[in-house]
Amino acid sequence: MSSADHAHIATTHEHHELGFLRKYIFSEDHKIIGIQFMFSGIIMFFLGGLLALGVRTQLGWPHAEIPLLGQWLWPGNAGHRMPPEFYNMLFSMHASVMIFLVIIPLLTGAFGNFTIPLMIGAKDMAFPKLNMMSYWFMWPAFATLLASFFVDGGAAAAGWTSYPTLADVEFAAPNSGWGQRLWLIGLISIGVSSMAGSVNYITTIINMRAPGMTLFRMPMTIWAMFITAILQAMALPVLTVALILQLLDKTIGTCFFLPNWAPGQGGVSIGNYQTPPGGGQPLLWQHLFWFYSHPAVYIMILPAMGMVSDIIATFARKPIFGYRPMVYSLAGIAGLGFIVWGHHMFQSGMDPRLGTGFMIATIMIALPSAVKVFNWLGTLWGSNIHYTTPMLNALAFVSMFVIGGLSGIFMAATPVDIAIHDTYFIVGHLHYVLFMSSIFGIFAAIYYWFPKMFGRMMNDTWGKVHFVLTFLFSNGVFFPMHITGSRLHPRRYFDPTQYRFLDEVQGLNTFMSICAICLGLVQLIFLVNFAYSLFRGPKGGLNPWHSNTLEWTAPSPPPHGNFETPPVVYRGPYEYGSPESDKDYLPQTEPPRPGAAPATHAH
Amino acid sequence: MQQKLWAVLFGGVLAAAAGLFVVAPFIEGWWLPKNLCSFGPEVDHLFYLILAFTGFFYLLTEGIMVYAMWKYVARPGEKSAYTHGSHKLEMLWTVVPALILLFIAFAQVSAWSDIKYQSRMPAPDQVFELTARQFEWRFRYPTAEQNALMLKGWEKGKETDEAAAWQREPHADDIHLVNEVHTWKGPDKDHPTRVRFYLKSRDVIHSFFLPNMRIKQDALPGKVIPVWFDSGFADGNCHYDEKANTWVVDPDKVSQSELACAELCGWGHYKMRGIVYVHENKADYEKWLAHASAEEHRTKP
Repeated sequence: MSSADHAHIATTHEHHELGFLRKYIFSEDHKIIGIQFMFSGIIMFFLGGLLALGVRTQLGWPHAEIPLLGQWLWPGNAGHRMPPEFYNMLFSMHASVMIFLVIIPLLTGAFGNFTIPLMIGAKDMAFPKLNMMSYWFMWPAFATLLASFFVDGGAAAAGWTSYPTLADVEFAAPNSGWGQRLWLIGLISIGVSSMAGSVNYITTIINMRAPGMTLFRMPMTIWAMFITAILQAMALPVLTVALILQLLDKTIGTCFFLPNWAPGQGGVSIGNYQTPPGGGQPLLWQHLFWFYSHPAVYIMILPAMGMVSDIIATFARKPIFGYRPMVYSLAGIAGLGFIVWGHHMFQSGMDPRLGTGFMIATIMIALPSAVKVFNWLGTLWGSNIHYTTPMLNALAFVSMFVIGGLSGIFMAATPVDIAIHDTYFIVGHLHYVLFMSSIFGIFAAIYYWFPKMFGRMMNDTWGKVHFVLTFLFSNGVFFPMHITGSRLHPRRYFDPTQYRFLDEVQGLNTFMSICAICLGLVQLIFLVNFAYSLFRGPKGGLNPWHSNTLEWTAPSPPPHGNFETPPVVYRGPYEYGSPESDKDYLPQTEPPRPGAAPATHAH
Repeated sequence: MQQKLWAVLFGGVLAAAAGLFVVAPFIEGWWLPKNLCSFGPEVDHLFYLILAFTGFFYLLTEGIMVYAMWKYVARPGEKSAYTHGSHKLEMLWTVVPALILLFIAFAQVSAWSDIKYQSRMPAPDQVFELTARQFEWRFRYPTAEQNALMLKGWEKGKETDEAAAWQREPHADDIHLVNEVHTWKGPDKDHPTRVRFYLKSRDVIHSFFLPNMRIKQDALPGKVIPVWFDSGFADGNCHYDEKANTWVVDPDKVSQSELACAELCGWGHYKMRGIVYVHENKADYEKWLAHASAEEHRTKP
């Protein structure tokens, strides 16, 4: 931020200039909080990426010495090789970091915070202090999860799903002691953060829309954030409860998830250790966990869908096709999302008759997803596509989401799932949704709103270089997983070469690992572009993309309080190419021409 | 023109992805492992059914997208088509996929219930117990006589009291083995040897996975889960090796006879490898069983 902007804030708004600490650190301004979420999210993105590279190094070259790092980390190990429990920790923490510290905070924390008040024409969130608290509750999680790498036994290594009894019993794995406890404490704290955020988002969207901003004039981004917040508010308490129950099992000796070995007998025996008789249920954890964590999958994709819809309409210079079906399909995904959690448990020992019901609900959830894809294609049809960096990332989102959506049907089908459950097929599928879709959506959003956040543009050429290389290498990493998955290569294997039936796919593993290392390296281009543009990027002006939505009428960056004059909304957000205007866009705030019929679109 | 290259990039990557699925089935070891179980073809057919539908919609949607990216590159000074949607199209692309998805969903139901519903499980020819623990599979086989006793009166979906009692209380003459599944080839294709076993876990969750039999079932501590499969398409894969005084699997059959753990169970998860021994016929199996029993109980056969 330049000093001119500071002066601007001070002169146009009545409240006094805040000190650095209150303005940037303990800020109550939704934009600063959003940017805080973004910065910590990007830092964690690189940490999560490094953990993934550790996983891929082991899978690509299972018998190799780990160069440099190996000698330092495992001086005692023969050949300085990675120990298997370390490998388990890598993939468990990779997933935990990426899900809880990167994707959810970036989508809802960073972009939810930044866009909601700006796009509905509000001065700030409904509860600014609660908003500040929601960010600062991320920090105990950063602290505990990072510290857990250094405790005895290492960080959590029972998968991000932390199934009991492996995660529940301290003696089941070296990492199931303090590593797992810190993991639980961290996640509880993130739950508080998300809960505070979602309550705030729902209230703000319901109560604080600008005059004229009816629900069906809200941009798709806001609809997505709204529906996501509702999902979060309703599902998260269940996870929090489950986390607390596991923590009680691990600290004061309760047995919520610890079964008896057989009816009327003692607990299970792990090595030489016997758990107390308690009669708990390991499957209870899976039900509670997935009751949240399946909706969490949608929490990790719906906001990206919303933002991508806005970005595509902007750069296709065309109204979004089927605005209302787009809203209804978001709601449909969210609603169905509550009754499909059991599809993670088809092979778990849950009554298989339940599996049939969960399967049908799960396969039907492909329908609203398909409707969204068709409407994006309808938007592109007959449009005027401007290939900017945000648009390319948004288009990548759509094309990759098609793959992730279609590959999901294989696992949803219970008999097919018998074969491909817990194989690389699901690993490929989930990365097409969470990396290839969510992360491309996040990149699109960063490139798109950067000029509004910081008043400067990111470099478009380097943005495109970053995009092309990311697009190529990420497909190189994740697409072959469908092939190794079709070979039924089990996931979470430290050394796949143990199995003869996997002999022929080891070459693919090495290929994917090489692509992964390249994918990691090219992210540095993004980092440099981001950091350089923050200080040296060209000024973007009010509305560099000629977009219709309200945030582009506020100064760049918007001061505390956002708008110089409270905006009034006259139409929906997608009037691109409208005959009502001479330009190819028509901002929501532009008053209708005298005599022109008001734009109403009842689809 | 230069802008059209973006469509080429997307088209190229998406076509390469589709191409990989076309060539993989023809590359040795890059596709579904050879199927050896009589319900395997049902599973595989459903896999191909879904592959056909998803493949079609993949080509359709990505094709339209790449075409639009090619055709609708920004033309300076022009406006795009001004439309907010089409009710007819929305109906079309809601109803048609809905019907297809319902069809796909209901096509799965019978295979799933045949494989996993306890009420549908066929009467077995062989019963054993399998207890998983970190990091091995512990098998408990009944003697041939006990096996016969348990099977008497077994109807589809209804185990005998004898079997239920044996599952609860080990017998002194049971044969205990680690990491070895033993079964035999049925007399003909219509009469495969149906294996029914009680899956348990002593400590954490494991998952019994035979890639070639298309069967996977988690082992839950505190629960007894009935599982069945057969080796309907398998040939005998092992023979007695005099020098080693044990049965060995033919080296060229090892890659289609592996048992794996499919649920993360700790550091040794990847090491829970077992081998499936398919004996030529029931007599051979019982010969092996007597041998194993003698070895275990330290008496001369």
